Amino acid sequence: MAIYSVGRKRVILALLLTTTLLLTLDVRGNPVIDAGREGFAQVMRPVETATGVVTNPIERIWHGITNYDDVKRENLALQEQLDRLIGTRAAAEAAVIEGKELQALYSLPSLSGIDTEVARVVGYSANNLDQVIEIDRGSTSGIEVGMAVVNQAGLVGKVTQVTRSSARVMLVTDGRYKVAVKVTSASVADEAVPTNTSPSGLSPSEVVDGGTTTTSTTMPARPVPIVPGVTLPDGSPVPDTTLPGTALGPDGEPVLDPATGRPLTAEQIAGLEELAAQQSSTTALEADTADPSTVTSSTGPEPTTTTTTTIAEVIDKEYGVLEGRGRLRLPQIGLLQDSPSLSELVAGDLVETAGGSESLAPTGIPVGRVVNRADRPGSRGPLLDVELYADLGRLNFVRVVLYKPLSEVDQ
Amino acid sequence: MFASFVQGPLVRVIPLGLILLALQRTIFVEMQVGGVIIQIMMAMAAAAGVAGGSERGAIVGFTLGVMFDLAEGTPLGSTATAMTIAGAVGGLLALIAADPHWWLEAIFTALGTAAGVAMIPLVRAFIGESEPFQRQLGVVVAVVAVAAAVMSPLLVPLGRWCLRMRRPEWKQPVGEANS
Repeated sequence: MAIYSVGRKRVILALLLTTTLLLTLDVRGNPVIDAGREGFAQVMRPVETATGVVTNPIERIWHGITNYDDVKRENLALQEQLDRLIGTRAAAEAAVIEGKELQALYSLPSLSGIDTEVARVVGYSANNLDQVIEIDRGSTSGIEVGMAVVNQAGLVGKVTQVTRSSARVMLVTDGRYKVAVKVTSASVADEAVPTNTSPSGLSPSEVVDGGTTTTSTTMPARPVPIVPGVTLPDGSPVPDTTLPGTALGPDGEPVLDPATGRPLTAEQIAGLEELAAQQSSTTALEADTADPSTVTSSTGPEPTTTTTTTIAEVIDKEYGVLEGRGRLRLPQIGLLQDSPSLSELVAGDLVETAGGSESLAPTGIPVGRVVNRADRPGSRGPLLDVELYADLGRLNFVRVVLYKPLSEVDQ
Repeated sequence: MFASFVQGPLVRVIPLGLILLALQRTIFVEMQVGGVIIQIMMAMAAAAGVAGGSERGAIVGFTLGVMFDLAEGTPLGSTATAMTIAGAVGGLLALIAADPHWWLEAIFTALGTAAGVAMIPLVRAFIGESEPFQRQLGVVVAVVAVAAAVMSPLLVPLGRWCLRMRRPEWKQPVGEANS
């Protein structure tokens, strides 16, 4: 039987004082502790790898039991989403071809000129408080504390700790995470895409119209760029990708500005589309065409190429601060000033990073979509719940945006 | 000094801690219950307290906590404080019964674990972290405590092994046996 005594109490107190001392040293920053962490990580790595191998079958059985129905439902939803994307992508590519011919928008701040580093997610946080992942790239790859981390879908988080060969990334859902964002109106094009369209974005009934043949632009198949030195668990290479927000051309690579050689973003291309639409309207009026968004290159017996482009009207509504709220809760945007006379913040609005000279995240990284609005009394403005584009529960590969804010670059 | 180290509990606690830490960072991250990660290391600290008393429980909790902080990148000492408390509370509760049944040990382990888990945001608040108290803290504490109770029939004997202890055997006094 354990006996409680003053001596035992002293031991417990001594241990608690030791933890307080360690906390003080670590919070203030101590190279010895940092070296200790790296050394311990080296010791843990083989143990963790071996444990992972042994427990993998158990994990699979667990997921098989608990997630089977969800996976089945998700598979169906993804198939539907894929079908829709195939249709919209070809329409977007056609718009990009037109946009490439216009050189109107130069030197706007964009994501496309920023280098990124691909990293594999090697671990998740093992406690219930922190939302942190570990990646297998560190300071030797140019990664620094504060850099934004994205995946194909959008913003994932930011780097908070860096060692030589690894880094820790605080996810957007972590309670300590904050980033400046802007809320924009939902894209008209995104909402107006018909469910049954041809690759050019036309409905099947519009594809054949009398003697006029409507054709869609088919892009030549090219090999997908590969990330060097990174392979998937099955040995297959990892396709290289661009930052979210960077527009791809018909060849699967970023559309380059002929004047500067820098890739164009979706925003810039949207601007180019607008110019193209204006030009198209003029052409259409001259040709006495009823629909101003239809470009008719020739008429008569020769085949006619018709491309319909819906212009996405994006309005910057408001700027605010996105804050994570923990594992099971959606991040929220606060510090908003709702001005109904200008525009109303509603569910469905898009959220992307705002950037700025002090911000560690460049402007234009897609974050998510507003799913709920909660009004607060007084002048505190509404709160917006944001559903993230990135699925933070299933991160395999991410990209660290090697970006420094302008304030640091100047120094 | 070397002899005392070899004969002390740390020789067994550290390798066991490595294995538990690896399990914590692999299988228990995947096998969540209601979105809550089960804290096997915290449960082990509490179970060691139940098996060996508050002092030994605190030592085991401190060791496991430091290992956890080193591996997880959390402020060094934050989880160690919580696990020290878990071990001490488990040990203090074990004073209630001289030779507790397995279900009493399970309850003590659960309560010690709950104390440790509830302690983590408190320590984080102490070091200046903003809003460490989450709304689902109650759910987290409850799930982790119940899981610790379920695992206690395995963890308490493991704690005794770590501490080189045997289950107390109560013998009849010699005088009473002769009469």
